[in-house]
Amino acid sequence: MRDVEVVSKHARLARFSFGSWAVLVYVFLFAPIVLLVAFSFNANKYGTFPFTGWTLHWYGQVFGDYQIKDALTTTLKVAAEVTLISTVVGTAAAFPLVRSNLPFRNGVRIGMTLPIMIPGLLIGVSLLVLMTSVFHFTLSPQTAVIGQSVYTTPFVVLLVAARLQGFDPSLERAASDLGANTVNRLRHVVLPLIMPAIFAGALFAFTLSLDEFIITLFLIGAHNTLPIYIYTQVKFGITPEVNALASLLLAGSLVLIAVAFALPLAVRKMRFAFRARKA
Amino acid sequence: MDQDLTTSSAAPPVDLPAGRRTSRVAGLGQYAGFIPALILYGVFFLVPLGLIVAYSFWTVVDYNVVHDWTLDNYHYFFSVPTYVRTMWATLWVSFAATAITLLIAFPFAYWLVRYVRRSLQGFFLILVVLPFWTSYLLRVYSWINILGEKGAINRFLLWTGVIDKPASFFLYDRPAVILVLVYLYFPFAALTLYASLERFDWNQFKAAMDLGAPPRTAITRIMIPQMKAGIVTAVIFVFIPILGEYLAPQLVGGARGVMIGNLIVNFFSGAQYTRGAAAALLIAVLIVILLVIFRKSLDVKDPYRA
Repeated sequence: MRDVEVVSKHARLARFSFGSWAVLVYVFLFAPIVLLVAFSFNANKYGTFPFTGWTLHWYGQVFGDYQIKDALTTTLKVAAEVTLISTVVGTAAAFPLVRSNLPFRNGVRIGMTLPIMIPGLLIGVSLLVLMTSVFHFTLSPQTAVIGQSVYTTPFVVLLVAARLQGFDPSLERAASDLGANTVNRLRHVVLPLIMPAIFAGALFAFTLSLDEFIITLFLIGAHNTLPIYIYTQVKFGITPEVNALASLLLAGSLVLIAVAFALPLAVRKMRFAFRARKA
Repeated sequence: MDQDLTTSSAAPPVDLPAGRRTSRVAGLGQYAGFIPALILYGVFFLVPLGLIVAYSFWTVVDYNVVHDWTLDNYHYFFSVPTYVRTMWATLWVSFAATAITLLIAFPFAYWLVRYVRRSLQGFFLILVVLPFWTSYLLRVYSWINILGEKGAINRFLLWTGVIDKPASFFLYDRPAVILVLVYLYFPFAALTLYASLERFDWNQFKAAMDLGAPPRTAITRIMIPQMKAGIVTAVIFVFIPILGEYLAPQLVGGARGVMIGNLIVNFFSGAQYTRGAAAALLIAVLIVILLVIFRKSLDVKDPYRA
């Protein structure tokens, strides 16, 4: 790419224009978020312009608010259950998807990704009808868990299937030749190899669940997750408390991303050290 | 050693250990892994969708759903001018937002592939995706800080003296909705366009220019036709979810920015299940049709059986 030296006299201008465009794009992407964080430290009690001084008051309020504490607990519980369900169901489904003699494999694969393709709104309302009119369940965090799992499981399936597809079958053949039965092959060969994908899938499901709004809105009933709580607060405008809560969530998701990037590296390092010691 | 083996990807699917596998896990056993997924998807995805289809053809009498097959809900939907207008508005808002997203994303992807050192491209991509990893709700909400009556734009215009009292024009109307939708879906478009530009053979670009084509012609005649798959994928990832958007029009669109997603939610929260189901099904059918058209034009091959 770099070796393409444009023979146009406008080359420098072009480079400059595209560069400026990119700068504008990044400003566009980050300005709202930066403002949000800035306002969370703003003493102005309307949570917006003008800046009237720095304060940590709104953070104090967030930590003292029992509604937020409740919502956080519910959010984490729901996310944990969703992660468990979608990791198990998704990993189990990835195996036959890649390895069985499946007729219409591509059709099945597309079918499995359908919950991602159709708007969450439709998943939400259709499950609402099922839960209330057919099963007569009371809406609760549990019904929200089911709804979210429908949406997050496909991500696990895709990630794990890609990894299963990618690894060398002769490894398993070798294990088999050395006398490993199905269970041992799975435990000592296959699972360690696809672990990164399972982990990535679990992390994906967890983050998606933390953030999920529309399905949860229909299915959670009288309870609140953090997104639902924020929604009820901001329907009528901005509050500085929500700005602070939002900034905290932002920091939380940044930590999650950092973990997601750092952990595979750490694991590889550990394995390496382990292997070196054994040798 | 095993590192080498694991990284040699693109392996054929596992048909092994050959003889043993077919005899032991023969027949239906190989599909056992699908069972939990079948329960989850069957009971909690397909059945509810079927219910929505059925509900859209049933009616409500005295707050009870009556299983009489009828087209009343659809007649009703199309007989209310506001609903029909909202449906058209949803289509053009989705179209406009998708077009603008792609128009912003293309020069960006071009810049990234053409002018940024390869070793830095990953970093700049992560920067694009970073806002995407923050809460969806918060990304919508954060725009109120900018577009609102006391938001950044109004403050700026007041300060420069262009206006003398805060304008509410920026918020609670369709332009605001489109802007926020572009913001929400830009990462999808940027990533897919980058992925397809990254595979582009720049020698062809050079060749076109050697043959006298100005850069603009080289882009429109050589580059963009080869990016067709990437562009279609980007459209799938942007246009289709926007059709079912609820939150963005709800928070920044106000009464004038309503989209069909808001209608559906209103129907359901007003317990008008059958009418809501009809509206939901209209969207679902539209999406399925679009997906089929797009898939056709993509001509996806089975990735697991290359």
